[in-house]
Amino acid sequence: MNCKPNKEQLTRRLAEIVGNDAVLADKRELVVYECDAYTLQRNPPTAVVLPRSTQEVAAVVRLCAELDVPIIPRGAGTSLSGAVLAVDGGVMIALTRMNRVLKIDPRNRRALVEAGCVNAWITRDASAHGLFYAPDPSSQTACTIGGNIATNSGGPHTLKNGVTTNHVLGYEMVLSDGTIEWLGVEPDGGEEVAGFDLRGAAIGSEGMFGVVTTVLVRLMKTPPTFKTFLCVFESVDEASQAVSGIIAAGIVPAALEMMDQLITQALEEAYHFGFPLDAGAVLIVELDGLPKGVEQQAKRVEEVCRQNNASEVRLAKDDAERTALWKCRKRAFGAIGRLSPNYVTQDGVVPRSKLPVIMRFIRTVSDKYELRIPNVFHAGDGNIHPLILYDEREPSQVKRALQAGHDILDKCIELGGSVTGEHGIGAEKIDFMAKQFSKDDLDAMQQLRRVFDPDKRCNPHKMFPGAKRCAEFAQKKQIPA
Amino acid sequence: MTIKPDSISELQELLPQSQRVDEVSLEAVAELIEHVPEDMTATVQAGMSLSEFQSRLAKAGQWLPVDPPHPQVVTIGELLACNLNGPRRFGCGTIRDWVIGMTVVLPDGRLIRNGGKVVKNVAGFDLCRLFVGAKNELGIIVEAAFKLLPLSEAEAYLVKRCESLGQAEELLENIWTSDLQPTVLDLHRVDGKPLTLVAGFAGPSADIEAQSGAANALGFAVETSLDYDARFRQTAPHFTSVAPGKLISTLKNLGDESFVARAGNGVVYHPSAKPKEVPSLDLQKRVKDIFDPKGVLAE
Repeated sequence: MNCKPNKEQLTRRLAEIVGNDAVLADKRELVVYECDAYTLQRNPPTAVVLPRSTQEVAAVVRLCAELDVPIIPRGAGTSLSGAVLAVDGGVMIALTRMNRVLKIDPRNRRALVEAGCVNAWITRDASAHGLFYAPDPSSQTACTIGGNIATNSGGPHTLKNGVTTNHVLGYEMVLSDGTIEWLGVEPDGGEEVAGFDLRGAAIGSEGMFGVVTTVLVRLMKTPPTFKTFLCVFESVDEASQAVSGIIAAGIVPAALEMMDQLITQALEEAYHFGFPLDAGAVLIVELDGLPKGVEQQAKRVEEVCRQNNASEVRLAKDDAERTALWKCRKRAFGAIGRLSPNYVTQDGVVPRSKLPVIMRFIRTVSDKYELRIPNVFHAGDGNIHPLILYDEREPSQVKRALQAGHDILDKCIELGGSVTGEHGIGAEKIDFMAKQFSKDDLDAMQQLRRVFDPDKRCNPHKMFPGAKRCAEFAQKKQIPA
Repeated sequence: MTIKPDSISELQELLPQSQRVDEVSLEAVAELIEHVPEDMTATVQAGMSLSEFQSRLAKAGQWLPVDPPHPQVVTIGELLACNLNGPRRFGCGTIRDWVIGMTVVLPDGRLIRNGGKVVKNVAGFDLCRLFVGAKNELGIIVEAAFKLLPLSEAEAYLVKRCESLGQAEELLENIWTSDLQPTVLDLHRVDGKPLTLVAGFAGPSADIEAQSGAANALGFAVETSLDYDARFRQTAPHFTSVAPGKLISTLKNLGDESFVARAGNGVVYHPSAKPKEVPSLDLQKRVKDIFDPKGVLAE
């Protein structure tokens, strides 16, 4: 990418494709697009385009191929790993104007949507037919289905139902040379697809394989009964034991979430749900299914929690209370603003049985770096989300916060886990790839990348060691203690 | 040629030296590496038979929720490479939904790992999904990690004879829109026997009782086995796959031909079905060219 076209020429030619109102190139307009929800690194793209159709996306991508300019696909920009950061400039293709639910197909339990469609809109439209779209990331009222494909998003309810790759049947993708391919199940087609599973291979590819434009998802039947418990424990250890106990009883709850004391206190202050302020840990256990079976399992869950010294097992009394509880849980990150001016949301995974170990380790990290680290996480999946609180006005805190995160992720690898369960590698976790994988493992991933994007023009400088960094970040990292 | 390595490292040596490998027998690579019941995960080598694996898991009350025909002879490697499944597919999905990590020997001898042994993991690209169903044409799967489920407390498999495809369609619509949550939803006409709808339920005992009762009200009566699937698929290994809503019209076009259909999935096994043709996408070809440039692994 040596002889870059000048910006004016690029902008003009983009406008010829999508129209003037769909190209942003002014410095002030680009500020919004200089980072996603991971704010430690920032860099504006050269231009942003807001296409309205697959054809426009393909034409933009072809132009970028001709001019050898990087493309960065973007949904709502809720990524927590810098996945949509324009590290070295380039044309950001924002799918936010392609946001329609095209078809709800109740007979086949499918929905066809545009990539910029917001996750929660699918269930909103499908619920009239008694159906829902299962993956429910906490950002589901903002994040787009295209972005969900990029990061293979999860959410609190993935324990029983699985993640994005289990629910996206097929999709249309514009490759970096501008060709349009449909991968996986076609909208009116059968679910068996011949050939290599390119659909599955590109889910979770963090926008590095192409631009997803239209998506076919699987819908599930809404269970007739839910029972949602709030279980209060004196310590995280006891709550973790209860998690193991529930699984050992042969029960797979729809969700199994844990929040520690700092989180419940912050949530209580923000939303006044009625969380106990003195509890060491709170579990949210949700069972769903048919009435009789849910009843039977609910008894068992209550027993297991009591056996593990739960001081209270409270059942959400109606749908309104259940909804309120989940609203609180999903807004937990937001409530942290009350505790600290800044925080880093970490995302790591350990085998479920190692939860007590990692939680104890996080406490020692918190002591070591003198930073508060509240925890709210998907206990059933072993997917932890320590929130490392810091104040960016104090440079030493920034450094300690980064280091604390690194220590925790290293420990996740040591315990047989992963450095990311749902947020992705993006720009943030590149350094961990060589720790979690061998050179051969990484080379094989690069082989797959070559299949889709031989020129590495799509969302470059992500995921793999040796990638270019933003200048500003380099400075931040060098802040002396 | 067929190669039969004694170990994974021997496979790593043999593959790059070979001109053309039609089959790899992993009889010697068949250990259970790890089963952690508290994590509901297990890691196993590819040469172990599915039934052996299931019986090990059953000791802790768990299972891998797939049920292809002939689990005594199907190995974990074949299960993955050919994406095999059976009647419970409607409720349990396919092996693609349960694999969480894989170790593969590539044609050039490199041993690579992808995914891991935790149930949620998005670090790096997902090669696991690519190797499932790839028939060992891109590399040889030697080990895999799975998430598991508790064995169901109770199961019930009920049948209802149907007079016509029209009646079957009506029943299917009824079940589809009811609160019933079948794990198995099959429609079959085999061995000259009448058209039969099968609904299977699995889960907490209280549920199974209630669901069986509801199914009885629709005219379903007790049957004990799903053996028809394995038996029939010996003579009809291939299938036609359509959107579930097009099932009945597809079956009408079969005339008098026998079939076993996954009614909830739109997958119909019948003797005249042909193996599905691979689309001539550039991408499909590029995958093979990049992972097996010398064409060592037979297509």
